[in-house]
Amino acid sequence: MKSKSPLYVTGARDILAGECVDLFLADGAVAAVAPAGGMRVPQGVTAVNAMGKLILPGLFDLHARIGITSKSLTDCVSCTSQAARQGGVSGIQCMPDLSPPLDGAAQIASLMEIVSCRSEIEIIPAGCLSRGMEGEQQAPYDSLRGKGVRMITDAGRFPRNILMLHRAMKYAGELGLTFALRGDVPALTEKTCAHPSVTSYRLGLHGSPACAEEIGIDTVIRLAADAGAAVHIQTVSTGAGASIIRRAKEAGQAVTAEAALHHLLYTHECMGDYDTNFKTLPPLRDPEDCAALLEAVNNGVIDCLTGDHSPCIPFFKKQDFCSAPAGMITLDTWLPALYTFLVKDGRLSWKKLLEVCAFNPRRILGLEIPELKEGAPADFVLFDPEGLTEVSPAFLKAGALNTPLLGSRLSGRVYPL
Amino acid sequence: MNSRKDLLTIRALSDEDIRTILDSASAMKELLTKSVKKVPVLKGKSVLTLFYEPSTRTHSSFEVAAKRLSADVTSFTVSQSSVVKGESVHDTIDTLQAMKMDYIIVRHKNSGIPAVIARHTRASVVNAGDGAHAHPSQAFLDAFTIREKYGSIAGRRVVIVGDILHSRVARSTSLILKRLGAEVAYLGPGSLVPLERHTGIPRFTHFDDAFSWRPDVIYLLRVQNERMDSPFFPNAREYHRVYGVTEERLKRISDLDLAIMHPGPVNRGVELCDLAMEYRNCLVNKQVENGVAARMSILYHLTPHTRQV
Repeated sequence: MKSKSPLYVTGARDILAGECVDLFLADGAVAAVAPAGGMRVPQGVTAVNAMGKLILPGLFDLHARIGITSKSLTDCVSCTSQAARQGGVSGIQCMPDLSPPLDGAAQIASLMEIVSCRSEIEIIPAGCLSRGMEGEQQAPYDSLRGKGVRMITDAGRFPRNILMLHRAMKYAGELGLTFALRGDVPALTEKTCAHPSVTSYRLGLHGSPACAEEIGIDTVIRLAADAGAAVHIQTVSTGAGASIIRRAKEAGQAVTAEAALHHLLYTHECMGDYDTNFKTLPPLRDPEDCAALLEAVNNGVIDCLTGDHSPCIPFFKKQDFCSAPAGMITLDTWLPALYTFLVKDGRLSWKKLLEVCAFNPRRILGLEIPELKEGAPADFVLFDPEGLTEVSPAFLKAGALNTPLLGSRLSGRVYPL
Repeated sequence: MNSRKDLLTIRALSDEDIRTILDSASAMKELLTKSVKKVPVLKGKSVLTLFYEPSTRTHSSFEVAAKRLSADVTSFTVSQSSVVKGESVHDTIDTLQAMKMDYIIVRHKNSGIPAVIARHTRASVVNAGDGAHAHPSQAFLDAFTIREKYGSIAGRRVVIVGDILHSRVARSTSLILKRLGAEVAYLGPGSLVPLERHTGIPRFTHFDDAFSWRPDVIYLLRVQNERMDSPFFPNAREYHRVYGVTEERLKRISDLDLAIMHPGPVNRGVELCDLAMEYRNCLVNKQVENGVAARMSILYHLTPHTRQV
């Protein structure tokens, strides 16, 4: 939330330095920082008393969907922007699986025109890896790059034509584009919607084997190594998948990876009696996977935590489990959820949270990093750890209700600046 | 038995519910032997059969059961309806709601559809088979058939053979038998049987091991034709040789005096050899016969929320 008009923020706690600060923001940048009480606020300039609140860089989510079929793209952009703001998120990378998909310069240009007038957050478009995301023909990578694309991905779909992928990596790797792929072997996961488990057996749902993800990750990493391309592994859901990434990193390969928060928090058992809010892609796995992913986040194997924000029309989630779309919305509740489920009980430090939810995503995309120092971009939020966030239908701004947190109360509250 | 609106799974029932439905199935069966086969317990009530998947036995069995209880029965045939045009289940139910149905008997290829419908209607919903999830009326008729044969279910051993992975029958029947004190084991190839730690049911890989377990019933599941196209096993001949009741195995089954069951329709020469159908302890036709009584009992025990209006 880059503040444009001059603004004083006084008494906010800088969680990394462990002290309270005053700051003066002007022209979209940090104009001055001083220890708390050290700044005189001139009359007539807006000042925010931030005593008791934390000042944090706006978070950045590498993996978000903005499209809802019943809404215009303009409405989708404003919904997403509002949802992100109240969740403490100041930037997202938008997946290209819109209708039509972002597989050409024109599609990106029209999206970015809407973004420039409707969005209060930064939206970086990801471009398609293949035309129409059909996995057969390369998208025009250089044109996409010219429109601000940094990552190319078919948004979770694994290209059918692996030769195309290999050549695309050789071609576009040199353009500085990063390939973002989810580990998958489509032949093994077709028509599945659950992790093979006690739950999938009980509910009679076909299981998506964890080995499909592991083989997929391994394939992507080996292809990228051979082609010399940078690769980013999306939504790792298994401990074994994380181990493959660790080995590649140890060998010095240009690999980064992300995990979705729900894969750290929930297991297949959450599906209960066909609760479609817990239908995700990849599916929710075993408790051991949740633990292994949290560890991988803490030891740096996983670089980023994402929400994999995926809004849908409420009716779609009322259908049966097989027919309902996968995914949940996460932007509205992002920072309070991270705080409630990971930081509050010490499973993730504030420092680590900022690294994986604010700094690393921006580093991977080559964006400026908001820091509490003069000249840095003025991109901050205030967070009151003592506050509460009631997740009611009225609270959710994303234009969808598909979150298991609906009706719950989260610790902490975001105050956008 | 507590008043229940729907029958969606065996799991949702209490032990008392299960016993009550089984006990009155006996009474219903007796009734079917009388010269007047109809009772007026559902007189004036309307029953809708909503089958999104083809079925001969279950469909006609439910229809006969409802008619014996004097209900009016309507069949909603899916191929002729707008469902093929992509209408959602919700919209179909809203349309059918106008007909003021009291009972909806539903079959669908997707697991969990009956629960979606049950939440959306005041009518009683009976799950007549959903995906690989549940087939509770089959479970009742199977339990009823075993009880009829042996006098009780507790302590009996049943081996369920074949495609467990895709089978709602295996899931529901194993559940009801275990609840009634029987022991259940699975037998089949690894490509068609989920892991034991997921099912909680011991698994055999060879018929010989299953025989050594000293079972009372060999329950064979139907092999769906489409499984032969996608390679779950090499071909029907090999399947029969390894997992079917061959003539040789039938002899062993006969020597051990075991019963044979199958939910039907039987693929002769795949699950069962021809001779097996004439075997003295082949209960396949008994199962069909008992299906009507079991389903009458199920309908009798459900309470639609449409009554008070």
